[in-house]
Amino acid sequence: MLEKKPVILVIDDEESMRDSCSQALTRVGFRAETAEDGSIGLEKVKETKPDLVLIDLKMPGISGIDVLEKVKEIDPNIISVVITGYATVESAVEAMKKGAYDFLPKPFTPEELRIIINRGLERRELILETESLRKEKKLIEDNFITMVSHQLQSPLVAIQQFFEVILGGMVGEVQEKQKEMITRSRDRMDGLLKLIDDWLDVARLDSGQIVDNIEPLSLKKVIKKIIEDMRPLTQDDNISLELGSCSENDLVQGDKETLEQVFSNLITNAIRYNKPKGKVVITIKENEDFISAEVKDTGIGIAKEHLPFIFDQFYRVKRGEDHKIKGTGLGLSIAKKIVEAHGGSVQVSSELGKGSSFTVLLPKA
Amino acid sequence: MEKHKTTIVVIDDDPDFIDAGTPVLESAFYNVVTALSPNEGKEKIFSEKPDLILLDIMMDSLFDGFSLCNAIKTSKEYKEFKDTPIIFVSAVKEKTGSRFAFRGEEQGMIGPDDYMDKPVKPNDLLARIEKFLKK
Repeated sequence: MLEKKPVILVIDDEESMRDSCSQALTRVGFRAETAEDGSIGLEKVKETKPDLVLIDLKMPGISGIDVLEKVKEIDPNIISVVITGYATVESAVEAMKKGAYDFLPKPFTPEELRIIINRGLERRELILETESLRKEKKLIEDNFITMVSHQLQSPLVAIQQFFEVILGGMVGEVQEKQKEMITRSRDRMDGLLKLIDDWLDVARLDSGQIVDNIEPLSLKKVIKKIIEDMRPLTQDDNISLELGSCSENDLVQGDKETLEQVFSNLITNAIRYNKPKGKVVITIKENEDFISAEVKDTGIGIAKEHLPFIFDQFYRVKRGEDHKIKGTGLGLSIAKKIVEAHGGSVQVSSELGKGSSFTVLLPKA
Repeated sequence: MEKHKTTIVVIDDDPDFIDAGTPVLESAFYNVVTALSPNEGKEKIFSEKPDLILLDIMMDSLFDGFSLCNAIKTSKEYKEFKDTPIIFVSAVKEKTGSRFAFRGEEQGMIGPDDYMDKPVKPNDLLARIEKFLKK
């Protein structure tokens, strides 16, 4: 990794010290740079990008400790070794606490200097390698999610496309029984695609990739859009879905796409787990630091013992007769993760047989 | 006297989508020309002078569809096609994949005239095409 000469920067106000160090270092094949005080030293750190910095602790102007801290700010991977003028343990300990790799008490021999520097450089090499491995791993992880998404979904989508074309009667007439089976195949495939989608969202959320475009948003607008999108779902059971009262201030700090998903998940549940001719009402309120949106339904409700677990991945409330209810078991868990990534929270209250209420709290814009 | 037939170029690296999409378009009596890569697509655009283009986003690379779309809409080379409607058809769902695909627009690239998730509903596809061709 260190094919080019390692660069060592010596920051010391004593000229004799700078000279002897740079001689000792040049002799064994390092490139030595010097600076006579802290501020020149920091300029040189930026300019020469050293692998290791030797800092005299006792200098006029910026103190050695401050220089040490600033070097860390410029590049945390630069190794710092401090030179302590008189071997006071306290100053060395303080420097180590502030991130120095080691210390060298004066006077020292060229051999002692080289040993410490070589050790420091080995350490740096290790840090850099770890760093580059970490970056590579992150890159693979990021692309992995995208790749899985494309690789898993493409074939399924192609199958779906054929079903759609057949069902659309585009390649000849389809008999009733065939139509029914293909429709069911398509619906099962829909469920599978939704599961992959949700699973990928979980993966993205866990790697912090999804809530990335936070801006002031009108929560009312977001919810209105989702209500319109969800309208077709209400038709089967004749469920009324409406926006109730709204506070004047509805501006939140939010990522539009993911918040849409939160309300899409909550409202879908409120419709699915409702009773025929049930109601879903969404209200928006302004609290001290948060804007809250409550999604309230008159559905089947959730028993007390299940409530603590409903936000867990793949947790399903087991009930005998709800075979028709489809879902991936990830919707609430995704909603909660998204809201928490916004610095908000989701609260739930429910009464079995009467309905549930989910309240999302989001930070005000 | 033969009426001019409306031509649609479908560019998608998935032969299955090509095979599924073709009968849909033909059912509405469009002349369908297909291409399995952006390069082949380019050739077909120049030779067939389509009235509309259906374009997949992710082909050889993640942004193929986007680059081609941008080129058609903005470059001199495609000057005579810059007003040809382009519909993106992609398996990368709007809420996940195109989050990054559409970043192209943030980088100043010109997006398509419309966007559809795969699988497309045949009637939806035909309705959208018709809407553009009426103009």
